[in-house]
Amino acid sequence: MKNNTSSIKKSGLGAKASRRISNTLIYIVLIVMTVVWLFPYFGIVLESLRMESTGRVDYMIPKEWGFGNYEYLFTNTNFPTWFINTTIMGLATAVLQTFFILSMSYTLSRLRFKGRKFLMNFMLILGMFPGFLTMILIYKIFGDLGLTHANAPFGLIIVYCASSGMGYYVSKGFFDTISKSLDEAARIDGATRWQVFYKVIMPLSKPIIIYTILMGFMAPWGDFMLARFLAAGDDLGKNVAVGMWGWLQATNPSTMYTRFCAAGVTVSIPVTAVFLALQKYYVEGVTGGAVKG
Amino acid sequence: MKQLNALEYLKLNKFQRFLYDFKQFFCAIPGWFKGLILAFLGLVKDFAIKIKDGFLDIIHTFVKGNWAVKLSFVIFGLGNIYYGQIARGILFFLFEVAFVVYMFFIPTSVDVSSGLPNYRTQSGLNWLKSVNWFETGNTVGTIQQKPGYDYEYDVPITIPGEDSTRVLFNALLAVIFIIAFIVTWRLQVKQCRICMDITASGKKIKSGKDDLKSLLDDQFHKTLLAPSIIGIGLFTVLPMIFMIIIAFTNYSDVFGSIGLLNGQSELYQWVGFKNLAELLNFSEGGIGVAFGELLVWTLIWAVFATFTNYFLGMMVAIMINKKGIKIKKFWRTVLVMTIAIPQFVSLLYISKMFDFNGFIGSFLYNNVPFIRDYLVANNTNTLWQVPEAARIMLIVINIWVGIPYVMLMATGILMNIPADLYESAQIDGANGVQQFTKITLPYMLFVTGPYLLTSFVGNLNNFNIIFLLSGGGPTNFDMNIPSLEGLVPGHTDLLITWLFKLSTGSGAGARYYLASALGILIFLVVAILSLIVYNVIPSTKNEEDFA
Amino acid sequence: MASVKLTNVKKIYGKNTLAVDNFNLDIADKEFIVFVGPSGCGKSTTLRMIAGLEDISGGTVEIDGVVVNDLQPRDRDIAMVFQNYALYPHLTVFENMAFSLRLKKVPQDEVYKRVTEAAEVLGITEYLTRKPRALSGGQRQRVAIGRAMVRDSKVFLMDEPLSNLDAKLRNQMRAEIILLRKKINTTFIYVTHDQTEAMTLGDRIVIMKDGLIQQVGTPTEVFDMPCNLFVAEFIGAPKMNTFNTKLVKEGDKYYVTPYGAKIEVTGEKATALAAKGVGSQNIILGVRPEHFVLAEAGAPDAISCQILVNEMMGSELHLHVVTENGDKLIVRIPTVSLTDDQRRSLVQGAPLHVTCEGKVMHFFNVEEQTNLLV
Repeated sequence: MKNNTSSIKKSGLGAKASRRISNTLIYIVLIVMTVVWLFPYFGIVLESLRMESTGRVDYMIPKEWGFGNYEYLFTNTNFPTWFINTTIMGLATAVLQTFFILSMSYTLSRLRFKGRKFLMNFMLILGMFPGFLTMILIYKIFGDLGLTHANAPFGLIIVYCASSGMGYYVSKGFFDTISKSLDEAARIDGATRWQVFYKVIMPLSKPIIIYTILMGFMAPWGDFMLARFLAAGDDLGKNVAVGMWGWLQATNPSTMYTRFCAAGVTVSIPVTAVFLALQKYYVEGVTGGAVKG
Repeated sequence: MKQLNALEYLKLNKFQRFLYDFKQFFCAIPGWFKGLILAFLGLVKDFAIKIKDGFLDIIHTFVKGNWAVKLSFVIFGLGNIYYGQIARGILFFLFEVAFVVYMFFIPTSVDVSSGLPNYRTQSGLNWLKSVNWFETGNTVGTIQQKPGYDYEYDVPITIPGEDSTRVLFNALLAVIFIIAFIVTWRLQVKQCRICMDITASGKKIKSGKDDLKSLLDDQFHKTLLAPSIIGIGLFTVLPMIFMIIIAFTNYSDVFGSIGLLNGQSELYQWVGFKNLAELLNFSEGGIGVAFGELLVWTLIWAVFATFTNYFLGMMVAIMINKKGIKIKKFWRTVLVMTIAIPQFVSLLYISKMFDFNGFIGSFLYNNVPFIRDYLVANNTNTLWQVPEAARIMLIVINIWVGIPYVMLMATGILMNIPADLYESAQIDGANGVQQFTKITLPYMLFVTGPYLLTSFVGNLNNFNIIFLLSGGGPTNFDMNIPSLEGLVPGHTDLLITWLFKLSTGSGAGARYYLASALGILIFLVVAILSLIVYNVIPSTKNEEDFA
Repeated sequence: MASVKLTNVKKIYGKNTLAVDNFNLDIADKEFIVFVGPSGCGKSTTLRMIAGLEDISGGTVEIDGVVVNDLQPRDRDIAMVFQNYALYPHLTVFENMAFSLRLKKVPQDEVYKRVTEAAEVLGITEYLTRKPRALSGGQRQRVAIGRAMVRDSKVFLMDEPLSNLDAKLRNQMRAEIILLRKKINTTFIYVTHDQTEAMTLGDRIVIMKDGLIQQVGTPTEVFDMPCNLFVAEFIGAPKMNTFNTKLVKEGDKYYVTPYGAKIEVTGEKATALAAKGVGSQNIILGVRPEHFVLAEAGAPDAISCQILVNEMMGSELHLHVVTENGDKLIVRIPTVSLTDDQRRSLVQGAPLHVTCEGKVMHFFNVEEQTNLLV
């Protein structure tokens, strides 16, 4: 926009001045957005520190400050169990799911075999069924195997990971961008396909491996549907989402509200820290995945 | 309609072009379905040819084979052992033995305390006999539990029967086992043929060690895929088939999970297409009314949720990326926080914040007169209780949730748009807005076509947002469907949240049969919409436009 | 150091896309053979079948007398240089070159010796500790060649190794490959779409089109005696002029009659025509641009035409001319043979009279487009 003469005529402003105005407008919008986006987080932190009451109130700034709600969480509730449950699930899922997703996406991206197209179409169509429906049978069978109720976290790990190969799209998109002639060069250099996989492609795939691990770790923290179904009301088998959701249901909002906020903060801190530290890889994954389909 | 050639098309003005494209689009729809059907018929034809070739091959193998090959038509693996592939042959043979034992010789399990059969395990054949596939009016499983009397101890007892879920599941397993048996039989016959051919050509037959080695090399895909395929087969395909079958029964989980643990069993019936018919019964008081209303709202929701996020997110990305805007990283990180913090925390909190007791809810009620008037007119004190308001709030809060994702993605893509496109547009005299509509937007739409499709489908099934924010409420009192009792969908329920309610029961008893039938319908909706969207998005049509 | 033999090799993609068909070739030990042809002619596919990167749909490939159809690439003892270099981005230049030796578990001393020797030859010793992304295109190309060199393999395959380089670097590398070949002294199979590379590098050239071999021969053979119109036009730059005309036999003598001129066929060509007993007929006449000479206006053997474009190349002139009936020809005249006056007169629009050398004309059958003399 160096010499945009027509805009000069129309607005009567120099290019510099008009840019300054538009930038100011953008700053205003961004600042407003920042407030809106951070507002709930400020709110939740403030309410978690409120000591004068445990229910909801019509003001934001606590009248009495303290960590009582946090103390209560770890002494009088099952929150520590839920937190440990979810952490275990997160770690296990991060490892297992990465294994499943990488092996599936690598195979579909770089190996050619009979039935490849069929497999991809099949998984596409399978993915259109509401996945939740599978839970009814799984619940029954896991019930027989003792993987529901208090043991639900173990059942859930299996459920999260077993079919995770179907979510191969993002990492396949990544693998597709690595030149195929690297594989060919390595195979001529004497590598077996396994050696191509772990000596050539894996070292080049750090971003997508971290992305997949990150996604695996985050999944159990946000899952509600499957977790609630398998826990079947048993307090010891819940993840944080299901457990804390219960606190806000009709029976106990007035006693548990500020504690919910405290738990929310406690949960958010580690997850957010991990996420922000690995943000770069997440962005790469999101961008690559969207572009590649 | 008349097809125009390129020059004739260029003669049309904007409006005529739009009209033409519009007509073309709808005239093409039958074509897609025709294409699909033709492709399907092609598959069937290919399959038939394969079967035919297979049979010819089998006959050839039998005629030309020696005694070992001929015998291995009955005794698995004999041919392989004859040709020196001992390990492989033994595996084949063991599979056959396992199959026969499973099918015929597993005894019916017995309750330890009472000594009566409790039908927890049976032979494959018995499961298959018991299941009464799709016989409308008949039960899934045949032996009903019944009250009995223990004369020894003088107490009434329950004589165990079969449990339909178990029968159906095991019968499915048996069918899968039979299919596996046939496939394995074919496989080992084929192996014999291959061995015969190799021997005839004078080459050496691969040993078991070579087989193992090749699993890391030219058969590496098998090694990599095996865990995933087994996982998907067991935890998605099998339960999915089970649930599709459930849609043809009246399974509603009478005893619930507690009953199952206590050893009670129930038999349910095959009902044919009754459930699907009920779901599609659009007459007064039929469940179809609820389904139809839900479908409409689900579609409205998905369209709004997808496109508001998409365009606003893109705007934000453009704003942050604009030259001269400082601390770009800060603005981005603020938004990315929304992705990092688990949704149930932020969404549940926001939901309560807007409630009457929450401070925004109470602030709006007490300090904004027109909102108070509106709420009073609707006989309530919170926006979540007014259907239209709840729906609008969902869409607005979803913008809060969704913008960061789109912003991140758009940022990456914006950086990839070649700068010379903008430079040449500036020289051609395009202003900022024109640059956006003529370059940025088409480019983005092109590149993110697949993303739009997945996010649209994702929004159709967006469970978390609805369930955590509104829980499907407010309750729909106008909808009077006696057969649904407590499971009438609320005003903001999506198909998927209703499905969840139907299968958890939420106090009114689970309706698995309806949930399954609904699941099939959801599949159809998603599949048809995907097909349409897939044919509309530019990325699949003009692949080279921006290449 | 091995011979390569291809017998009836065939490649079919999908159900019925024929990429290569009926490919028969004997490559002698230590021969430098070049596959050349336009894109999509199947030359790279053939090379990749030899390498084992593509399945062979039919026929056999033998290396050193052993059928390798079912062997994995690593069991064929071949080395290959790729068009886009295919260097491993995460490894240093040294490790890139050592990769195959490491897989074979060659001891470190030996690895060090072989890699540094190859690096010495290629002049990349100082880059051995760098990663590929820190290298220029030419350096990467050298590393790729080095990686293939350390293998000490039987056959050296090169798939358009120079086409990603700029023109100047390409000429330089071409010369280096000729020198390199003297040092390595093994069997080379080289794929290119550039006829100059083919002519300068190959002991023998295999010219391909649409999956079929058109001609196999030394550079001189394919230049002097192209077996069909395609080869004639493909080899040589600027490309050969061709026009429909008549071959007339009058007594013992043969004449061609392009654009009203009457030019006698002389030398070996005339002898060969007579020996084959060729009679008068319609033919396609092929004349290379450099085989035109200026003629007097009005002479019986003069083709009169008009200059469209005059390209001054320095040592020679490329004249794009149009004949009286609108055909376009290219005439190439060494500058040294022209007087200053002549050079000044050769401007756009000026008339020009040319004839062609009788002893270097090519005659092609109108229907099959094959050379009458082959």
